[in-house]
Amino acid sequence: MRQLPIGSWPVWRQLTGADRTGRAASVKSRRSDALSARTASADRVVKSICPYCAVGCAQNVYVRDERVVQIEGDPDSPISRGRLCPKGAASLQLTTDSGRLDKVRYRPPYGTQWQDLDLATAMEMIADRVIRTRRETWQWEEEDGGLLARTMGIASLGGATLDNEENYLIKKLFTALGVVQVENQARVCHSSTVIGLGTSFGRGGATTFMQDMQHADCIIIEGSNFAEAHPVGFQWVLAAKARGATVIHVDPRFTRTSALADLFVPIRAGTDVAFLGGIINHVLTEGKDFREYVLAYTNAATIIDERFQDTEDLDGLFSGFDPQSHQYAEETWQYEGVQLVSASGERDNQYMARQAAQIDRPGSPGRDAGEHGSGEGEKHGSGTAALDGQARRDPTLQDPRCVYQILRRHFSRYTPEMVERICGIPPEVFAEVCRHLVDNSGPERTSEFVYAVGWTQHTDGSQFIRSASILQLLLGNIGRPGGGIQALRGHASIQGSTDIPTLFNLLPGYIPMPHAHKAQTLDDFILADAARKGFWANMRAYLVSLLKAWWGPAARADNDFCFNYLPRITGSHSHYDTTLEQLGGTCKGYFLLGQNPAVGSANSRMQRFGMANLDWLVVRDLNMIESATWWKDGPEIESGELVTERIGTEVFVLPAAAHTEKAGSFTNTNRLLQWHHQAVEPTDDRRSDLWFMYHLGRIIRQKLAGSTDPMDRPILDLTWDYPTTGSIAEPVAEAVLAEINGWNSDGRPLSTYTELADDGSTVCGCWIYCGVYSDGVNQAARRKPAEEQSWVSPEWAWAWPANRRMLYNRASARPDGRPWSERKKFVWWDEEVGRWTGYDVPDFEPTKRPDYEPPDGARGVAALRGTDAFIMQADGLGWLYTPTGVADGPLPTHYEPQDSPMDNLLYRQQRNPARLLRPHEHNRYHPNGSQRGAQIFPYVVTTYRLTEHFTAGGMSRHTPYLAELQPEFFCEVSPELAAERGLVHADWATIVTARNAIEARVLVTERVAPLHVDGRIIHQIGLPFHWGPNGHSRGDAANELTSISLDPNSHIQESKALSADIRPGRRPRGPDRVALVRDYQRRAGITERTGTEA
Amino acid sequence: MASKAAVLHLVGLGRSYQEIGAALGIPPGQAYLVGTGIPADGGGTVSRAQRTRPGMLPSRTQCLVNPREAPPPPAGPVHEWMRTRARRDQLTRPGR
Repeated sequence: MRQLPIGSWPVWRQLTGADRTGRAASVKSRRSDALSARTASADRVVKSICPYCAVGCAQNVYVRDERVVQIEGDPDSPISRGRLCPKGAASLQLTTDSGRLDKVRYRPPYGTQWQDLDLATAMEMIADRVIRTRRETWQWEEEDGGLLARTMGIASLGGATLDNEENYLIKKLFTALGVVQVENQARVCHSSTVIGLGTSFGRGGATTFMQDMQHADCIIIEGSNFAEAHPVGFQWVLAAKARGATVIHVDPRFTRTSALADLFVPIRAGTDVAFLGGIINHVLTEGKDFREYVLAYTNAATIIDERFQDTEDLDGLFSGFDPQSHQYAEETWQYEGVQLVSASGERDNQYMARQAAQIDRPGSPGRDAGEHGSGEGEKHGSGTAALDGQARRDPTLQDPRCVYQILRRHFSRYTPEMVERICGIPPEVFAEVCRHLVDNSGPERTSEFVYAVGWTQHTDGSQFIRSASILQLLLGNIGRPGGGIQALRGHASIQGSTDIPTLFNLLPGYIPMPHAHKAQTLDDFILADAARKGFWANMRAYLVSLLKAWWGPAARADNDFCFNYLPRITGSHSHYDTTLEQLGGTCKGYFLLGQNPAVGSANSRMQRFGMANLDWLVVRDLNMIESATWWKDGPEIESGELVTERIGTEVFVLPAAAHTEKAGSFTNTNRLLQWHHQAVEPTDDRRSDLWFMYHLGRIIRQKLAGSTDPMDRPILDLTWDYPTTGSIAEPVAEAVLAEINGWNSDGRPLSTYTELADDGSTVCGCWIYCGVYSDGVNQAARRKPAEEQSWVSPEWAWAWPANRRMLYNRASARPDGRPWSERKKFVWWDEEVGRWTGYDVPDFEPTKRPDYEPPDGARGVAALRGTDAFIMQADGLGWLYTPTGVADGPLPTHYEPQDSPMDNLLYRQQRNPARLLRPHEHNRYHPNGSQRGAQIFPYVVTTYRLTEHFTAGGMSRHTPYLAELQPEFFCEVSPELAAERGLVHADWATIVTARNAIEARVLVTERVAPLHVDGRIIHQIGLPFHWGPNGHSRGDAANELTSISLDPNSHIQESKALSADIRPGRRPRGPDRVALVRDYQRRAGITERTGTEA
Repeated sequence: MASKAAVLHLVGLGRSYQEIGAALGIPPGQAYLVGTGIPADGGGTVSRAQRTRPGMLPSRTQCLVNPREAPPPPAGPVHEWMRTRARRDQLTRPGR
């Protein structure tokens, strides 16, 4: 060993030099002395936003010599306060990793290898295929003559990881091309949130914002591993805890969230409605509701139609159920004396009946739903139901048909004992949860619920969220500081891709896509859909401004502003239905825009079979994901079920730009639009999706120029003239944002959606985003440091609607406008100045007095009373009971998951009767509970996210930092289950369902403790869902096991609770894997009918 | 080596950290760290008590350590494009 002179020893320098405490010069070696931080030597710093989850952490991107050299958290952010989680910190490699795709790759039909293809040629070829497929599959009319004006031959999937501006161009271009099958990850992750929150409160987004969590006195985190899945946001839970809040975590697994909670409540996966229903029952039977709030701000006093029958009457069914179609008719659920039509997305579907019944006449009859089959379930309620008539109310809450009494009766059997039998939660633990929640609700205290996909991804996921909504309304916790419901979304702009929807059934701002009808005019559509009261009454202005934004001078009053350019939907065209359309040969071309269904969608095997039946596939991603390579190395190639040389799918893989290489806005989990600037230009063939969509549209329009075919008018008339910049002609994202915001006839940007007109004098691409470019300033790019403003931070970025951070905040004041308490003061009426004031933008007309009563016959906004805190609702009230808009019932009801080892102990009705199933040879279901064969799948699987990985792995398994941190797929099992099945820690296990078999490393841990459920021991298995066969970190995909079984409202899949078997050892290879699954199916007696009972 | 006392003395004289750094031969961010004990890049959690320390700046301390912040692109071309679009889109004006 080389001898170092003592003078070079750090300790010698410390003891003999000036730096005796060893905090400066003495700890430097010669080498470290010569180093400098990458941040210090950078040329510039560019402000950005993390592209992973939807907390929306602010980033500083350091650039030197036109290369990104470092990414750090931006301490100015009021949300993240400078922090980044492992993924955010590793986001540097999304730009710099040498393994990123850089060149176009092409696989010709039946080809066995990738080929080179230059980008320009690829764009031309893709444009040709779009035009050809569109021509070959165009549909003008339904058989009964209803207008379609669409193609079912093309579909698109992706958008939640993209910018709002990119989503906007995707929706705009594809809609003009007549493509209706436009979907994104929001369908898979949080579509049920929109139903649950939207029907309850009037908007489908989280009711509150991250920083406000610090004011909660109690936080219940359920259906979320907050600390690990959204680590930076979790600081606000800890801030609340530091201020004395009680934190409760309810989850099948003990996680880091549990470790930091005051109380951990293990629960059987998929039974949350029983648990929450138990708390509702407790609140109602003990009289613990916040009565003044409930009376003023909810529909508790509203009387329901005498024909309504509850699950108490029909053993688990509500009135109106048709066992043949598995659908409900809603007439009997409605308010007495009122004609209600469903929330957005459904209302238009019923327009013919509304017209026929002349629903403006109070008391006129409703109509059975049902002419569009599976589309009946699409009731994405961000907005409200249309309401005609005046509901009768009983403020004493004694009428047996008032909502309050119906609730009491409905939930009466959700006793603590039943909660224990169903959920496995001991009564004393349950009582403790009730006590904390009730004690921390009321005028002086508030509690908050936090959830994520542990609630959404069920066949009754919307009702999970409805349950929490009912509870929070009863306890008076909505619209108040420290209260609310926090929906934790998992993708940077998954909220944005719902607001500017790359979703089949919505237009921007939750305006429904029109259904196919004969000779429907714009006025017909508005009549059928627009509410009579509240801000949805202005829907015509929102829609006409959108049509002007898309079709400019072609959109005129005399042609209904090109309303008939919009393609029509005829039922469900959701992501999973597209899979079936691919298998059936209807869908021939598929765009994957930053989404990886071969891993990330339920029944990923079925996804691959679907793609193998396409004519062409376009994949745009950062890395070579499984959805691009299944044709050469997918599991079905290994099993021999697919043969590369016989697969005719032509595949284009186009490398995408990273978030640092493009400008645009993400909408975070709290409706906050945050702008990220471009730090560097993308190199090689890497391009943004803004670039791709814009230039694809440009090329298609060039190719179609001069066409006289009527089907081409919408694409040729489309406004598609965005300015471009830079060497690659990147569209200016800010111009797209400006169109989203809208302008008036002078070209002046609009400031708020109340400026929108229905006469064609305003343009607005998404009415709820109107204001984001007010004064011609990109409000989403505002980054005033948190220290320089209040804790609400209104000058950090911009939130929809109207820069409000907390929705329904009128309810933070008493009906008379005074704060409920000094401690919970937020927005209140200032009598002296005659305005609502406070810490946030009031979610109310600013000068409408609290004692305002609308005159007879008032409509629209003027019809809202001074106490109508839920301004998007047709009656201005929070809905404890949903008379319309939720396909599987006006109240949440516990049903067992589609695949469950348990019987439903509450009702004879085992599963959600209205759930959507897609029986198929690749999508078989399990027998349940005491049914013969159910014992073959005795365990409960739940899936989850890890801190170090992201969704289907395309942005993490290929990232060296993250792959090293979390290198291998594993399953979590309890020591008891390990002993029962002979599983060995760190060895292999095979997990089997009727869909597929996968293998995983065994992690034996007490974190997933067995539960005592109705005299049985139920073992649960935890599976992270990020893995697939590509990337640095490889493994089987958990979604091989899941089925396509869907919530009827949102079409979200049930991937958080399913039955399965587990056995020691690796899974069989090749055809033996298929044989194993077949053997399980045979042993369980599974047929095409298994599990499909109503 | 720059001492805390030296930094705070210069702060007391009304000097900026850029000036203090130049005077003491160290980067301004380092001068801030020496003077306050708080990293200027926002890398530390600052308690309420720490905020009252002598020499503390209320915000934007990251400017002391970061290179220049890239300015956003000018909005003028977007404004012009909007006006052009408004003309081309033939937006009807109320009352016309």
